[in-house]
Amino acid sequence: MADSDNDSGGAHNAGKGSEMSPREQDRFLPIANVSRIMKKALPANAKISKDAKETVQECVSEFISFITGEASDKCQREKRKTINGDDLLWAMTTLGFEDYVEPLKGYLQRFREMEGEKTVAARDKDAPPPTNATNSAYESPSYAAAPGGIMMHQGHVYGSAGFHQVAGGAIKGGPVYPGPGSNAGRPR
Amino acid sequence: MDHQGHSQNPSMGVVGSGAQLAYGSNPYQPGQITGPPGSVVTSVGTIQSTPAGAQLGQHQLAYQHIHQQQQHQLQQQLQQFWSNQYQEIEKVTDFKNHSLPLARIKKIMKADEDVRMISAEAPVIFARACEMFILELTLRSWNHTEENKRRTLQKNDIAAAITRTDIFDFLVDIVPREDLKDEVLASIPRGTMPVAGPADALPYCYMPPQHASQVGAAGVIMGKPVMDPNMYAQQSHPYMAPQMWPQPPDQRQSSPEH
Repeated sequence: MADSDNDSGGAHNAGKGSEMSPREQDRFLPIANVSRIMKKALPANAKISKDAKETVQECVSEFISFITGEASDKCQREKRKTINGDDLLWAMTTLGFEDYVEPLKGYLQRFREMEGEKTVAARDKDAPPPTNATNSAYESPSYAAAPGGIMMHQGHVYGSAGFHQVAGGAIKGGPVYPGPGSNAGRPR
Repeated sequence: MDHQGHSQNPSMGVVGSGAQLAYGSNPYQPGQITGPPGSVVTSVGTIQSTPAGAQLGQHQLAYQHIHQQQQHQLQQQLQQFWSNQYQEIEKVTDFKNHSLPLARIKKIMKADEDVRMISAEAPVIFARACEMFILELTLRSWNHTEENKRRTLQKNDIAAAITRTDIFDFLVDIVPREDLKDEVLASIPRGTMPVAGPADALPYCYMPPQHASQVGAAGVIMGKPVMDPNMYAQQSHPYMAPQMWPQPPDQRQSSPEH
C-alpha cells in the first residue's frame, strides 16, 4: 500500500525481515516477544515451528480484540468514554477467563499505587466531561496533535458488525471527541 | 466458512470420506454399539474378530493409562503455572519493562472503532493478561505435541488446544479446517472411551497413514456444545485482508509510553 507505516511501529518492524506488509505487522504483537513467552511454558529442548508462532500471534490479537470489545460494550452501556483496567477485568470474567483476574487485580492495584506516587491525574477515571487536561498520557498526544497533524486518508470497509470491521464515518480533522452519531451498534 | 446450522452435538464424525481405513474413522454413534466384549459392531457394519479385539483391548487399556497420566500431568502444570503467576506478579516493581509493547497493544485495541479512549492502565493490564494467555495456550498445545511423541510444537497442536478448551472457542476461526480435522479424528476415541470397544483406540495407533489418507476428505462436521450462537457470529470475520485493513486516523498521533 502507498500509506506510510505508523512511526510507533517502526522500531518493532526493524530487523524482523518482514514477510508481512507493514500494516499487517501492526495487527500483531512482535513475533520475537511472543516466541520468548512461549518458550517459558516449554521444556528446554522443545522446538516451536514458525507457523505455530504466527498462529499464536493471531490468537493473541484475537484475545485482545475479544476482551476489548466486551469492555467497550460495557462502557457504552454505562455512558462512559474511557476503557479502564476494571472494565478489562470484568470482561475477562464475563468471557470465561476468571483465572486471569485474581493475579491481575493485584497487579492493577500496585500499578495504580505506583502511578499515584507520580500524579493522581494519571489515573483517568472518566471525570465527566472529559477534557484534555484529564486525559492520560496515552490519549493526550493523539488529540493534541489532531488539529494540525497530518491525517491519513483511506477507504473504510463497511459491512456486518464484527470485531475487526469498521463501521461509521471516518474522522477527518474534526472535533477532538467524535459525536455519538459516529458509533454503530454491534449485534450481540 | 459457513457456520449456519452448526450442530451442538458433542460427538464428531467424518462425512464423505471414501478413503477411510477399515476401522479408524467410521462415524460413531453410541447407541449403535452392540455385541459381547472383545467384539464390536460399528455403524457401517464392520465386525471385528476376537483375536483382533483382544489386541485392541490391550491398546485401549494402555492408551487409557497413558492418557490419564498425561491429563494429570497437564493439570499439575496448569496449577503450577497459576501459582507462579501470583508469585511473579508480587515481585513486579518496575511497570516500565513489559514483555509486550504497550503501543502495539493499544493499536490492536483501537482497531475497533467503538473503542474511543483507553486509560493508561489498560495496555499495562493487557500486557500481563496476554502473557498469561500465551503461556496457557502454549502449555495446552504442548500437551498435544507430547501425545504425538514429537518435540516440535506445530500449528495443529494449537488447533487441538483450541478445540479442547472451552474458553478458547473464540479462536476456532483462526486455525484452518485441516488442522482441526486432525484433532477431530484424535478426539473420537476420547469422547467414546467409556462405552466404546477397542476399535476406537485405532485412530491413535494408525494416525500417520490415516491422516495422509484424509488429505482429500470432505469437510468435517464438528459440534460446539458450549458455543454461544451470538458470540460465534461475532467471530465470523476474524481478520480482513491486509489491503482492506483500515487505519483509524488518530492512531497516527499515538506514541509509545516512555
